[in-house]
Amino acid sequence: MSGIAAIYRKEMQTYFRSPIAYFVVAVYLVGAGYFFTYNVFLTGTATMTETFQSMSILLVTLIPLVSMRLFSNEYSARTMELLMTLPLKAWEIVIGKYLGAVTILLLMTAGTMIDLVPLYLYGNPETKTIISGYIGFVLLGMACLAIGQFFSSLTQNQIVAALITVCVLLGFWFVGHLEGFQNSEWMRSLFSYLSFALHFGDFVRGLVRSEGIAFYLIVSAIALTLNASYLEWRR
Amino acid sequence: MASAIALDAVTKRYGSKTIIHDMSFTVEPGEIVGFLGPNGAGKTTTMRMIAGFTTATSGTVRVAGYDMATQNGEAAKRLGYLPEHPPLYDTLDVSSYLRFVASVKRVPRASVRAELDRVIDACRLEAVTTREIYKLSKGYRQRVGLAQALLGDPDVLLLDEPTAGLDPGQIQETREVIRNFGSRHAVLLSTHILPEVTLICRRVTIINQGRLLAVDSPAALQRASEQADRVTLVATAPESDLRAELLAVEGVIDVAIRPAGTDDGQLAVDCQTDAGEGVEARIARAVASRWSLHRLQREQPTLENVFLRYIQGGKQ
Repeated sequence: MSGIAAIYRKEMQTYFRSPIAYFVVAVYLVGAGYFFTYNVFLTGTATMTETFQSMSILLVTLIPLVSMRLFSNEYSARTMELLMTLPLKAWEIVIGKYLGAVTILLLMTAGTMIDLVPLYLYGNPETKTIISGYIGFVLLGMACLAIGQFFSSLTQNQIVAALITVCVLLGFWFVGHLEGFQNSEWMRSLFSYLSFALHFGDFVRGLVRSEGIAFYLIVSAIALTLNASYLEWRR
Repeated sequence: MASAIALDAVTKRYGSKTIIHDMSFTVEPGEIVGFLGPNGAGKTTTMRMIAGFTTATSGTVRVAGYDMATQNGEAAKRLGYLPEHPPLYDTLDVSSYLRFVASVKRVPRASVRAELDRVIDACRLEAVTTREIYKLSKGYRQRVGLAQALLGDPDVLLLDEPTAGLDPGQIQETREVIRNFGSRHAVLLSTHILPEVTLICRRVTIINQGRLLAVDSPAALQRASEQADRVTLVATAPESDLRAELLAVEGVIDVAIRPAGTDDGQLAVDCQTDAGEGVEARIARAVASRWSLHRLQREQPTLENVFLRYIQGGKQ
């Protein structure tokens, strides 16, 4: 456990000493703020539903900017040689880094909660739907980060890592659209099950389903396991 | 007591390319062993296998008695490693970086402060502890890397070219640090600089093209290097007379003559000599007394030449 804690502390120090974390969080908050004003004030409805939908697309495109450096940077700075020869297990490195990235995700999410102030001041929103939306949002972000972290471990080029991650995440996001083209029942259910967007939609509508929670957690777990196994295999 | 480092028939292949061939040697506790070879000989690959960054294709690597293939976690706790490129986090400052390494190496919280002070003092880093690493000069970066390896007082210290990028004063200091450390622990030190091993190592392991050539004392290496001395000169003289004259000089082993490439018929001469005192002076006297001598220089032996000598010496 102390290995995870040490990696986590190092990650947090690195985030806040480089501009990228500030930049991503700032861009995200500006974008989310815009969607909020647009959806709430222009339509005059006191709900976060539309805002969550827009925020999620923004999240899927910005997460790769957070995850791309996680391992690529360790390779190009040759610090991977240090991590792999210190008394650390591969999974400790993976989990420590992942928790650091999730912390950034939570900060981004917490930042958007300022939207709730006008919502509750001037409207009468459904608290349960908002809570379930936030749960879905964090779970979606966690799955995206795990995937991004895995792809970051495959290349020492951060740009390549980010591009692959964007492609894969958008693939998972839109895969639900293929559902309508399929004749066989099991293909339809497979595509809809794999869709990040459809599971997220449930949360936004206020449905916290164990299937949805399990889906995002399993995707994260698979990506992180692949990540740790790859590091071991690379030795 | 187990050897600090023990390689047994270690081979490393990348695809079809064999980088390390059947290498075996040991380093005992309390011993500084030089790991000497020209660039590309396989020093870094071997270091990485001992450190556990890569695994051997066949054969076993043991560190403090632990097999790196199965018990690398236990071995890692007893190992300090300075890779060829110091593994530094540019955005961290020196003391945060060292704190990070100390926490991973399980240095008890109560003694972190003292441990940091110890390595900072040993590597002369007092002036830069609060500076971000990306602002440091190459020499300081190298020393931060060394400080990191010394943290936690490991039983086995692996140093891949520890004096690269340092100025002469810093090289002296670094050697002193290594010598102090090596009196209590095992050190394997890779280098392609000859005098380095003759100065601080008890034994020298010589490798070339991924093969172990010899494990020997620095004195034997010194003898080989002395036979690799050369004197080069440029003179205007008839070639055959010059050759005869030079071969008659005491200490000259062999002479190679070629045109110096200038218009006026100057000759460039390459004399292989022994390491005796004053060979260059005798050559200078012999040439200058009869012809005109334009330039004369005693060359430091290169590692490649020493290898050549060493291998030839072994065959005789």
